[in-house]
Amino acid sequence: MPSVVDCPIVLRQEVAEGHYRISVQAPGIARVAKPGQFAMLQVSGGYAPFLRRPMSIERIFSDGVSFLFKVEGEGTRLLAEMDTGHNLSVHGPLGNGFTIDTVCDRHILVAGGIGVAPLPALAERVKRDCGKAPDVIIAARTERLLLCEDDFRRMGCAIHITTDDGSAGEKALATGMLERLAPDARTCVYACGPNPMLRAVSQMMLDAGVMCLVSLEAQMACGDGACLGCVIESKSEIEGEKMLRVCKDGPVFDASLIDWAAHDLRDDQ
Amino acid sequence: MSVSLEINLGGLHMKNPVTVASGTFGYGQEYDAYFDVAQLGAVTTKSLTLKPRAGNKPPRLVETPAGMLNAIGLQNVGLEAYLEHKLPFLRQKDVPIIANIYGHGPDEYAELARLLEEKGGADAIEANLSCPNVHDAKSSRGTVLVAQDPELVCAYTKTIRSATSLPLYVKLTPNVATIVEPALAAQEGGADAVSLINTLIGMAIDPETRRPRLANIVGGLSGPCIRPVAVKMVWDAARALDIPVIGMGGICSTEDAVQFFLAGASAVALGSMSFRQPDAAIRVVNGLADYLEGHELSGIAALVGGMAQ
Repeated sequence: MPSVVDCPIVLRQEVAEGHYRISVQAPGIARVAKPGQFAMLQVSGGYAPFLRRPMSIERIFSDGVSFLFKVEGEGTRLLAEMDTGHNLSVHGPLGNGFTIDTVCDRHILVAGGIGVAPLPALAERVKRDCGKAPDVIIAARTERLLLCEDDFRRMGCAIHITTDDGSAGEKALATGMLERLAPDARTCVYACGPNPMLRAVSQMMLDAGVMCLVSLEAQMACGDGACLGCVIESKSEIEGEKMLRVCKDGPVFDASLIDWAAHDLRDDQ
Repeated sequence: MSVSLEINLGGLHMKNPVTVASGTFGYGQEYDAYFDVAQLGAVTTKSLTLKPRAGNKPPRLVETPAGMLNAIGLQNVGLEAYLEHKLPFLRQKDVPIIANIYGHGPDEYAELARLLEEKGGADAIEANLSCPNVHDAKSSRGTVLVAQDPELVCAYTKTIRSATSLPLYVKLTPNVATIVEPALAAQEGGADAVSLINTLIGMAIDPETRRPRLANIVGGLSGPCIRPVAVKMVWDAARALDIPVIGMGGICSTEDAVQFFLAGASAVALGSMSFRQPDAAIRVVNGLADYLEGHELSGIAALVGGMAQ
């Protein structure tokens, strides 16, 4: 069950230019959180900004969780300014999280930019449940924006790096690297990143008959499935609903459910 | 001193004067993890239509200074699924249900009200004559929200009134020159109370892409930024009406709620604040008891319309 708790910030790091990690002490949330779930973080004691900010849970520890985020606007700027010791109001864990199919032989995680945020917790869980750390594709614009490489390495993941400018790893898109890894029917792919990347990865995996889970991002107000502000269109009706709530029905979806043609990519530049 | 928060809202007995604004609380179950919704004076449902509605295309939501714009477009499960899947949770909670309804034309509202009463799906009806995100009412002035035309408000209210014996509340829009006319029209049509205010119509544009932030272009503004407008409209309406006013619009705290009572509201609803703080409504219930006790008042009635001048 989710709850709303004031959690002391125990660590704050700038992990790359404009990218931050915040760890909070939150044993109750850590106990029930699953990889792929998120929390709504209150960024201001006042009412501007008014709404909480949804953030993926990056890692789940015994006594707390961490969040990884990029400063995009006022809310994330305020969050990045919070120092250790500050009590952060955390509402979570929310959403469904990743389901790990332990029957699969191979697990490939695909991270695009800050979309890496929910994947370290997933990599740890895959390693625990399947006995082997997953492959991880980390795609970034440029070398200094590569995130979590050391964390995945410490877990024993096989890491495949691509950058748009070739400053690290291969000059390629995540899809190019994914193709090279030749996922097959016994592979499960988990992706999080910009919508154009998710759309391309989904299409490729659907065509290849590979199980693919994607974690989506959306503007949210409540995080609890009440406001219906964060919906995406699905290809088919699920229990009579054509609109899926990213917060409650997701944020992790089977890629085959999403109607990418209807999906508005306006915010993805 | 023992205080009682009990009220009678146009024929509906409530253990306290606090409900939630339609569309901000789902069908109640969404908030079950945070508090026992039976502690509320009433639960007001998301707008119900006869048939399910998919709502508007995303993006449906954008944050604005001290508030938010939404253009959900009345996405809801429809009456049948409400009765089958949503109502059982609320009924086992022993909390009055205010069913918010939306129809195409007065007859559809009346049909919804009639069916809800017949099937035990509501203890009161709130007719949403003021959704800013759907546009299907026609009048001599062209396409308007029903609540922008007092004649339509009166006619719709009469039709719904004749279809149900449940307490009937009419939810009005602030997007008018004066709130008094539509409020009086609702009263004349037989409403037992009016709900003030629905959202203010607004829009936001992305300066980089030059596109509207909402797929629907325009949306409804809510949150603390609209509170002063709401307080003023409640004050205007309450002085003109004989029926009670349910005040809503940016209430975040007990102090905010007290403002609405002082302006003349007999009950209040929390809206967008539940998004930020899921148990906000129950905090106000508890806060009101403390406020009354601290000010040595025996009940809410002692506050209603009590602004000092």
